[in-house]
Amino acid sequence: MKKPMLKLAAILVAASLSMGAFVAQAAKPFAKYKVVLQISDPNPFKQTLVLNVASNLVKHYGEDDVDVEIVAFGPGLRLLMDGNANGGRIDGLAQKGVRFSACANTIRNFGSKLGEDPKMDKHATVVPGGIVQIIELVQQGFILVKP
Amino acid sequence: MREIFKKTMLAASCAAALGGINTTVQAADWLSVQGTEEHGTAGRAKVWGFIQAQYQSDNSKPNGAGTYVPPKLIGPDLDSQEAFNVNRARIGVRGTGMPIDPNVNYFFLVEFGNNAITNPGNGFAKVTDASITLNHLKEYARVRAGQFKIPMAEEVYQGIALIDYVNFTDGVNQMLLERVPNRAYTGNVAPQPIGSTTSLNAFNQSIDAARDVGVQVFNTFNVAPGWEASYSVMVGNGNGINSSDNDNAKDYHLYFSTAKVFKGTGPRRQDWKTFAWYTNGDRHIDGNNDGVTEEYERKRYGVGSRYLKLPFRVAVEWIKAEGVIFQGPDKPSFGLLPPSIGNPNHPANGLNPNAEASQWSVDLGYYIPNTKWELDLRYADYTRMEDSIAEFDWTAITLGVQYHFNKKTRLTVNVTDRDVEATAFAAGAGPNANLDGIDKRYAVQLTHIF
Repeated sequence: MKKPMLKLAAILVAASLSMGAFVAQAAKPFAKYKVVLQISDPNPFKQTLVLNVASNLVKHYGEDDVDVEIVAFGPGLRLLMDGNANGGRIDGLAQKGVRFSACANTIRNFGSKLGEDPKMDKHATVVPGGIVQIIELVQQGFILVKP
Repeated sequence: MREIFKKTMLAASCAAALGGINTTVQAADWLSVQGTEEHGTAGRAKVWGFIQAQYQSDNSKPNGAGTYVPPKLIGPDLDSQEAFNVNRARIGVRGTGMPIDPNVNYFFLVEFGNNAITNPGNGFAKVTDASITLNHLKEYARVRAGQFKIPMAEEVYQGIALIDYVNFTDGVNQMLLERVPNRAYTGNVAPQPIGSTTSLNAFNQSIDAARDVGVQVFNTFNVAPGWEASYSVMVGNGNGINSSDNDNAKDYHLYFSTAKVFKGTGPRRQDWKTFAWYTNGDRHIDGNNDGVTEEYERKRYGVGSRYLKLPFRVAVEWIKAEGVIFQGPDKPSFGLLPPSIGNPNHPANGLNPNAEASQWSVDLGYYIPNTKWELDLRYADYTRMEDSIAEFDWTAITLGVQYHFNKKTRLTVNVTDRDVEATAFAAGAGPNANLDGIDKRYAVQLTHIF
């Protein structure tokens, strides 16, 4: 009795994860352009720059024709930490379909230094590895840009 | 003291209660601009600073003996009527030592210019700001500890590199930029001729630079769409930037402001701000030359409002001082007339507990649209030692033109028409014998912020 229940739970979890992955990677399946923006730099001006680039892409091509994902890892993860001064801009871009991915490895690394894992912005999706996410998106046809 | 403590705690609790209204904070008021960093974006160490190179010329005439009193000379040296000077040259770093923890930030600034901060003792540099801010409870209160600016009149509390005039108004200069009293009694200095070897600046410690060393609890909140409110409660040594306390007495500083935000963030934000502030503390000075210091209460408070929406700026301020009234750099024990020496309670002595002073001022600015030019006009009326035999009335109207080369570089040209008189005396009599002949002052200053 227990085994079938566990199997069912496993199937449901796998299905939900795969659905999540599907949603994350194909939010705009008919977009003409697919761009992944990398932020891994500690320079605070890069935070503004990467958001500007995303904003300009959406503005130029239109929300439906461009699929933009910002992947943050390393020191660049600060962009997606809860309470970041750019939170308003992140919210605005998310409403236009821009996705934000936060590296789980970096979160763990930050957590070991801070004593607890930092909270992430509500629009951030935690991915196993920032660099892995970029590689997989590139394999799917995304263009990698590192402003 | 206990009463002040109660008031302080009451203000703090009210402010903390206010904090519950809305927790979104914009770093766009001076409390936040100077005391915090943008959450999550600040670097480990941002190097910044500014330089102000200036030339000033004073057209005042000497007294009948050919000697001058300080208002007729160019500070801080007070030995000339025209001078080039690097008035301010400051460099500092600010940021967050551990960028992944945005709850802690710091602010450090050093003055290398020649002014009343560095001039006493011929120091070549002086730390003006060194503080750490804890933002762990940023929804309610931030805590700043160290040496930093006291929240008070907008004219002096604003980022000083952005002040629209070369010189402060007389009231702010004399009431708020405290000359920390000499510990030992120091006699008055008589008017001096140009080229004298006797300095008219007899204070032996740095001006307080509107700063104190202590702890501050503060915050800014959005209270309604487009409206914010801020508060600050601070306790400090009351010894300016002279690092440690010189007595057991502490100063208490309260500040409250509201602002309607029009546009932008940061130091150049356009808004309509209204504020009130209060500061109180004791000073220990040997006012009667008996080798023992006595305690004198120093109280300052004021209100003001500033409207900035391009192309217009309008600002009005009222400032009041009670006790320990500065009488000039040539009177370091705050005594004005010979009878006051040895008698701090004499009506002519600034240490007199009843001694009062006040200033009201209005400042107008017009930023000529689609140009780099700005026009400024300021009027200030400062009354020192009100209703006493030693009452002085200082009026000054300043016309200014500024040319903004870019956002960080500007040229400021000022012409100030001044009048100072001892109201209890006829022209040429008493202190007026030295004050008559005070005339226009011309100033040109180039400011570059980096």
